[in-house]
Amino acid sequence: MAASVREKQAVALKRMLNFNTPPLKNTTTEPVWKVLIYDRFGQDIISPLLSVKELRDMGITLHLLLHSDRDPIPDVPTVYFIMPTEENIDRICQDLRNQLYESYYLNFISAISRSKLEDIASAALAANAVSQVTKVFDQYLNFITLEDDMFILCHQNKEVISYHAINRADIQDTDMESIMDSIVDSLFCFFVTLGAVPIIRCPRGNAAEMVAVKLDKKLRENLRDARNSLFTGDSLSAGQFSFQRPLFVLADRNVDLATPLHHTWTYQALIHDVLDFHLNRVTLEEGLGAELQTGARPKKKSRKMYDLTGADKFWQKHKGSPFPEVAESVQEELDSYRAQEDEVKRLKSIMGLEGEDEGAISMLSDNTAKLTSAVSSLPELLEKKRLIDLHTNVATAVLDHIKSRKLDVYFEFEEKLMGKSTLDKSLLDVISDPDAGMPEDKMRLFLIFYITAQQPPSELDFEQYKKALLDAGCDLSPLNYIRQWKAFTKIASTPANYGGSGVKPMGLFSRVMNTGSQFVMEGVKNLVLKQHNLPVTRILDNLMEMKSHPETDDYRYFDPKMRGSESSIPRNKNPFQEAIVFVVGGGNYIEYQNLVDYTKSKQGKKVIYGCSELFNAAQFIKQLSQLGQK
Amino acid sequence: MAADITLLFKASVKTVKTRNKAIGIGFDSTKEDILKRGRKKSGFSQKAKEVITNITKLKDFLLLHRKDYVSAGSLISSELSRMTDNERDQIDQDAQIFMRTCAEAIKQLRNEVEKQVMSAQVKEHRGAVLDLIEVYLKGVCKLYSEQRAIRVKRMFEQENQRLISEMNSLVDEVRQIEGKVVEISRLQEIFSEKVLQQETEIDSIHQLVVGATENVKEGNEDIREAIKNNAGFRVWILFFLVMCSFSLLFLDWYDS
Repeated sequence: MAASVREKQAVALKRMLNFNTPPLKNTTTEPVWKVLIYDRFGQDIISPLLSVKELRDMGITLHLLLHSDRDPIPDVPTVYFIMPTEENIDRICQDLRNQLYESYYLNFISAISRSKLEDIASAALAANAVSQVTKVFDQYLNFITLEDDMFILCHQNKEVISYHAINRADIQDTDMESIMDSIVDSLFCFFVTLGAVPIIRCPRGNAAEMVAVKLDKKLRENLRDARNSLFTGDSLSAGQFSFQRPLFVLADRNVDLATPLHHTWTYQALIHDVLDFHLNRVTLEEGLGAELQTGARPKKKSRKMYDLTGADKFWQKHKGSPFPEVAESVQEELDSYRAQEDEVKRLKSIMGLEGEDEGAISMLSDNTAKLTSAVSSLPELLEKKRLIDLHTNVATAVLDHIKSRKLDVYFEFEEKLMGKSTLDKSLLDVISDPDAGMPEDKMRLFLIFYITAQQPPSELDFEQYKKALLDAGCDLSPLNYIRQWKAFTKIASTPANYGGSGVKPMGLFSRVMNTGSQFVMEGVKNLVLKQHNLPVTRILDNLMEMKSHPETDDYRYFDPKMRGSESSIPRNKNPFQEAIVFVVGGGNYIEYQNLVDYTKSKQGKKVIYGCSELFNAAQFIKQLSQLGQK
Repeated sequence: MAADITLLFKASVKTVKTRNKAIGIGFDSTKEDILKRGRKKSGFSQKAKEVITNITKLKDFLLLHRKDYVSAGSLISSELSRMTDNERDQIDQDAQIFMRTCAEAIKQLRNEVEKQVMSAQVKEHRGAVLDLIEVYLKGVCKLYSEQRAIRVKRMFEQENQRLISEMNSLVDEVRQIEGKVVEISRLQEIFSEKVLQQETEIDSIHQLVVGATENVKEGNEDIREAIKNNAGFRVWILFFLVMCSFSLLFLDWYDS
């Protein structure tokens, strides 16, 4: 796995856009123009990886949605990138009949069935367009890569495979089967793109096990058919630089329900929690203040969208840093940018003096070199300015939310709850505090308390809490579900231990920066995150290092390459170097960040995090309340 | 890794065909297909493709002659690969004209696109196609300008070299002259020494000469006197002789 998943997927996409031939390195090759047609799934896959400019550079003149009105454009080859669903196939047949384009390159995101292929064939025959269908490919790209080491399964229609869908009480077997099939299909595509056959470990008795069984079966079938196997060929040779196979750990969301509800303090997780953040794009509404006031005077809101990409060095460096560090770093970047700007201005003024001052002429010669370097670095400077502005806006928005909802208080409290250290304020106080946070924050806090408590609170206390919550305006249905869940998990296994963690407040910061700064963090405590392992990270650690632990000892073991049925005895005694963690039922950035920190502390290990969907706490609460209302 | 299922698709097409034949549904023969193909080749795409082929020709031309142009070869380059500056200028000119025509063609196509009435998508597509062609042209122009920059740099370097060698020769000459001047001054010193020496001698000579002139003057005087005396003496001798002769004559007469 020398190249990250993101690079592999991007390379696969670029290949596809180049008519499935590897793109040449030479920059001055003849432009070949083409039109890209995608459906919403394709759009979600492409948008985090390739920007519009990159698409243009590859010769794509137009990119359109499949189900939009499209005019015929003569003499243009078209690349389709779509899921093989009924409506899409119908639309393709319609396009063929209407003779919209000159030649068609059909690329299906996941494998298309034989019958649907025949549908297209008959439509092509009817339209006399068989020769126009130049190539048909199964791309096996049915997953969305958000970061170098993070992927999710889908963004559109994620209700179909959400936590709610999997865990609801009235689920039918057929529904479950179809959900599992779609998850397995995406995971299969993921491993095909990665080019490696993993060793699968999963817990017993839940959705994760079902996924593991199906995935193992699918991989086995594909490997057995040696001629058509997708795992032979040059993709595997790249993967063979690492002699070990990766470890694939399947976890179910139910093993840890506190983390999705947790308030967070790292930059990326905060953005996801507090702002509108999808597929690496943040949407900010200007005039933010109006949102949080209850008697809102409608200000004119303009929406701004920012993309947080891999090319943004500041983002890559600081997306896992605690928020105060981020604020400081933005300030530093701004200062260094200003210094560079001044340098350029100074050169400009020196150049301006050229005719008047002979003394300047002697300095000219080495200023020429400086000038050339300054001119060539101008685009970089502008880009840097743009990024600094972006992060300033985003961080300011986040800070506004933190201050108005007092998220630092919640964070500290939850950390203490999860670390089972002593609380200096009672829970009731925090819940009844009217200006600390929205009702949803209080609900989250209480749920975490309930989940992490060794014994459930007495009836009296419970009624008190319920009353306080109702006063604060919370909806109590998630609570019902969590009680059920807690009862169930108590029977099944010991409650999850969140590890000994502690949070040391670094004292109050009255002013973090000097007066030139925009971030005044008065009253916001600067909290330092101590390294602690969330349950998922701990499970991964046990399995990767082959440690024995009651939690993971009875995990099942699957090896698709092994002939015969799977054995539950791990054959491999060495610790794994690479691992992929997948959470069935949804995940979030806090877990991802925890895994990243864990990987950083271990040398030479690579961990990829995946989940069936990505939700922030608000969305998760909504799902829980839906479940609790049954 | 993607799976190429084109063959599978073609097989499906055959299956469907045979199935349709079996059921008895006939479709239009494929002959119309070929006729239909030619129909939609619009003028735009042909022209656009032409422009691209032209630019590619230019690029190939430039790349072909690049080595000679830059003459990056060794010091001992053969006569064949050496290009005269005239040829280089010619290439420059041709390339520039070519690039200008291509840019004109692109602009023309753009105007056409503006004027023609067509759907928004097609317009956008054509605009983007023209952008791509422009970018390509810019890339090729960059090739050319890089080449030219190298050449101009090379030329300046050559000029530099020439100036340096000229300066060097001047410096040599000046040094030589300097040496000579130094020698001259040395000689001059010797001369002046000698001259000073000779001054005393000349002074004495001068004295002598003055004395001699005096002497000669006196001598002249004496000689004048002597001549005068001589003349006077002669006169007395003459008188005596004449007297003697007269006395003789008297005596002779007396005696008779």
